[in-house]
Amino acid sequence: MKLMYRIVASSAACVAGLAFASAQAQEIKLGVHATLSGAGAVWGQAMLGAAELAADEVNAKGGLEVAGKKYRVVVTSYDDKYKANDAVTAMNRLINDDKIKFVVGPLGSAAAVAVLPMATDDKVITMTMAFTPKALGKEFPYSFRPVISSAEFSDPQIAWVVKKLNVKRVGGLFPNDESGQQVGAANAKAYEKVGANFEAREYFERERVDFVPLLTRLFAKNIDTIELNGNAPTTAALIVKQAREMGFKGPIIRTGGDATGEIVKVAGKAAAEGVYVHQTINPADAKVADYIKRFQAKYKSEMNAFSPMFHANVQMLFGAMQQAKTTTDLDKIRDAMASMKDYETVIGKVSWSGEQAYGIKRQLDAPFYVGVIRDGVSQIVAKCTLKSCD
Amino acid sequence: MSFEVLLVQAVVNGLVLGMLYMLMAIGFTMAFGIMRVVNFAHGEFYMIGAFVAFFLVTLWDVPYVLAIAGAGLATAVLGAAVERTVFKPFYGDELNGMIVALGLSVILQNLALIAWGPAPRSFASPFGGVLNVGPLVFPNERLFALGAAVLLVLGFWLLMARTQVGRAMRALAQDKEVALMQGIRANRVYPLAFAMAVGLAAVAGALMAPVFSVSPFAGHTPMLKAFVVVILGGLGSIPGAVVGGLMLGLIESLAGTLLSAMMADILQLALVIGLLLFRPWGLLGQREREG
Repeated sequence: MKLMYRIVASSAACVAGLAFASAQAQEIKLGVHATLSGAGAVWGQAMLGAAELAADEVNAKGGLEVAGKKYRVVVTSYDDKYKANDAVTAMNRLINDDKIKFVVGPLGSAAAVAVLPMATDDKVITMTMAFTPKALGKEFPYSFRPVISSAEFSDPQIAWVVKKLNVKRVGGLFPNDESGQQVGAANAKAYEKVGANFEAREYFERERVDFVPLLTRLFAKNIDTIELNGNAPTTAALIVKQAREMGFKGPIIRTGGDATGEIVKVAGKAAAEGVYVHQTINPADAKVADYIKRFQAKYKSEMNAFSPMFHANVQMLFGAMQQAKTTTDLDKIRDAMASMKDYETVIGKVSWSGEQAYGIKRQLDAPFYVGVIRDGVSQIVAKCTLKSCD
Repeated sequence: MSFEVLLVQAVVNGLVLGMLYMLMAIGFTMAFGIMRVVNFAHGEFYMIGAFVAFFLVTLWDVPYVLAIAGAGLATAVLGAAVERTVFKPFYGDELNGMIVALGLSVILQNLALIAWGPAPRSFASPFGGVLNVGPLVFPNERLFALGAAVLLVLGFWLLMARTQVGRAMRALAQDKEVALMQGIRANRVYPLAFAMAVGLAAVAGALMAPVFSVSPFAGHTPMLKAFVVVILGGLGSIPGAVVGGLMLGLIESLAGTLLSAMMADILQLALVIGLLLFRPWGLLGQREREG
């Protein structure tokens, strides 16, 4: 009797194993490599949501159809805790344990610098949020950037804001790592180009939550404007809150990725009133509004505006697989994606550019906006291209 | 902004931070002094206190001051349970007790992560706005935290100095065998002491929740600071925790304001290294007795 049970059990296991294996063959694995904890968690959730919503969209239709076969998209994610060594561990697991070839991530500049060499060696397509110019280049042909980085939006945005607010003396707080240092330098140059002086720059460790001593140092240099640059959403919010609590009444500008939701939530509507922000997307646009609704319904939390950019990139990836008629030839998929022009996505028609700045077309070319926070919501006051804002 | 204004603001901010570090350090040092437990999970009780206060205020509309008390009590009860189940088996085995505490820390952080997600949460303190004293500006919520912490420490001192329970705890800390011979029931006093220790951490968390926001990893830095304070003041010494906490807060705030954030971090740790080299029992601690 016992032997009979054993035979039945092992046959069942074999059948299940075969079924599982053949199910595996009809899958496209999408990895997410992002910060899912700490001050940058809101960004990571945006990227994870973009991947999962893209997978849901495609799986609802029975899978992605490539060269006549249907593929289910499966998402696997790892938290890099915004630390370079954890980023390396996470990428290792995606590439070597899970055998994934398409990754939404890495998120931070420090992570990008750490993992892009290995991703390139293993021919893995990555879609990064990293603002450092070192994330794109001829030496990383599989690295794409679907967000407009400060290198692209700083100049036009800062030129517009300085003119509008008559800014003269700027101060800023920057995290003491790759992104912070790059953004600090880029910001200072951009302000100086249009006649304002970046008087004071203070660097801090990312986990810091008390900025009162640092803000005191900035105010001692008589600045009239605070620049929030690319600080993580919760950090930016704490800076706004603490600056207003210290009696700072001057303009606060964020020339960095979307943090509006957090700023309003943590600093409060009163403190957030009048903060100038870089707006990545136009939430009034029908397709974007629909995406936001889907995100909020699925995750029950505010959506960070970077999410639709990654969603658009994943949509382009799927389109590239269909155009190249393969899910495994990385070079063909990469080239198909890179050559897309005016491709219709959730954020409208987009292309790739960056030939001049990086030597290779891997920077998403899409419009962006300058907004002002009024009564807890960012209102668009200018539309911008990579050249200028109107 | 004149130099005097700068200095006064830095000192007041340093006192607020110092009170926070002091609350954390008193609890941490108590656990060691009375039970010889190095509670590496102490920061997680700060985090739990912050979350309990957050949920009481945002989900059940409990007034903030009551929520702080609620956070302290709830965490104290949890602490007593943890002491009986997790730490008691390791009394007398300090090394394994430390390892167990580290494990507990990781478990609590990740349970919080699973239950509440990684995104930082915040709520507004009812003590919003600022107090203007001439050119000086003080945020009301920080002043409230300072005041509440002072009251708490005074209450704690009264309890330790003037009550039976406090005397029992001090006796156990001084000499366990003699205390037991005198009829002190360790099995009653230990869980109470641990509950108080983590209750203090939880109240610190609840006081700082509206100021700094709350996340599963929020306890990491306060734990580190508590550790530094306890080294400064002497492991097991409550006066040491008080003095050390205030010192650390002031050093951090003054160095951060007058020098830079990086220098502030370096100075604090350089101080620790210096003390460990030349006066390892801390400023107010007791030298290790030989024999």
